Amino acid sequence: LLQLPRNMSANPSSSAGPSGSSSGGGNSSGVGGGPCGACKFLRRKCVTGCIFAPYFDSEQGAAHFAAVHKVFGASNVSKLLLHIPVQKRLDAVVTICYEAQARLRDPVYGCVAHIFALQQQVVNLQAELSYLQAHLATLELPTPPPAPPPPQPHIAPPPLSISDLPTTSCLPATYDLSSLFDPMLQPSWTMQSRPVDPRQFAGGSRAPAEMSGGGDLQELARELLHRHGSPPVPCNEGSHMPPNSR
Amino acid sequence: MTRCAACRSRRIKCHSDCILSPYFPSNDPERFASVHKIYTAGHVARMLQQLPVHLRAEAADALYYEAQCRIRDPVYGSVGVISQLHQLICDAQRQLAKAQAEVACFNAQGEEATTQLQ
Repeated sequence: LLQLPRNMSANPSSSAGPSGSSSGGGNSSGVGGGPCGACKFLRRKCVTGCIFAPYFDSEQGAAHFAAVHKVFGASNVSKLLLHIPVQKRLDAVVTICYEAQARLRDPVYGCVAHIFALQQQVVNLQAELSYLQAHLATLELPTPPPAPPPPQPHIAPPPLSISDLPTTSCLPATYDLSSLFDPMLQPSWTMQSRPVDPRQFAGGSRAPAEMSGGGDLQELARELLHRHGSPPVPCNEGSHMPPNSR
Repeated sequence: MTRCAACRSRRIKCHSDCILSPYFPSNDPERFASVHKIYTAGHVARMLQQLPVHLRAEAADALYYEAQCRIRDPVYGSVGVISQLHQLICDAQRQLAKAQAEVACFNAQGEEATTQLQ
């Protein structure tokens, strides 16, 4: 999994470096020094100030970076991270890893499949809410109300197309990475019991708690959020939302 | 033959078998520019190459959508949209629960009134 500097701060240590780095410091180039997971995968020297080092440890980070490199390319991700404030780079890496893994699992839709599923849920809930509110309006009338309209037959909504998908500009701006691992709101591909070889993700030394297709991503997000100090709170318990990340 | 947006951007000849051409037409340079910025043309071409032909259009659209999300929100990308949809779902579920409770209340009052009349 991704490794965070031991003294987590807004500015991860920039002393990530090659084999001479000390494991007692804040650098994250792997246990006992050595290249970070990204440089290990790329088979290149992990230099001081390697932009990937704080986020991809040498053990399990290489596997995650492999997915990122396959989908986005190391150069692209490096450029992307360079344009992001340091304190936001961890979140960026998490979401990039998530998208990369989603794309590898679903080469056609990637995480858009998840968005489709959620959008459909929103549509269904809003339809149900509209019906109930109309029904309530009839109940509140002082005169004997007419018979409530019969329940609407379930009409499958038209299939969504990508052009129907929302953009961030039209949605309320609150970000909560814990949504990545809400099991009630995951699309079908994350709930399927796809056998996952732990060696693919964990280097053989650790198996994720859930072995479903999305379990390792959920574990990743959960661990990072826990370290970040933002434990997940299910929405049905009346949670407070983390502060707006923007 | 008119070059597709991808080949025009890369300043190369657009062959008849260009894999990007059907999905990145020359009249929409911004579409290709988005996916190239996030994925690079090579990655997009390789990803499409690995798919059956009848699925490539959807894949190209999905890649474009994700690229747009990432450009607009470099930190969270499409995960930002996911997070916000989750919030919408939570809000809608709360409102639904409240409406259901109100309906139940009305129904209970109605039954009580009926019982008193009997």
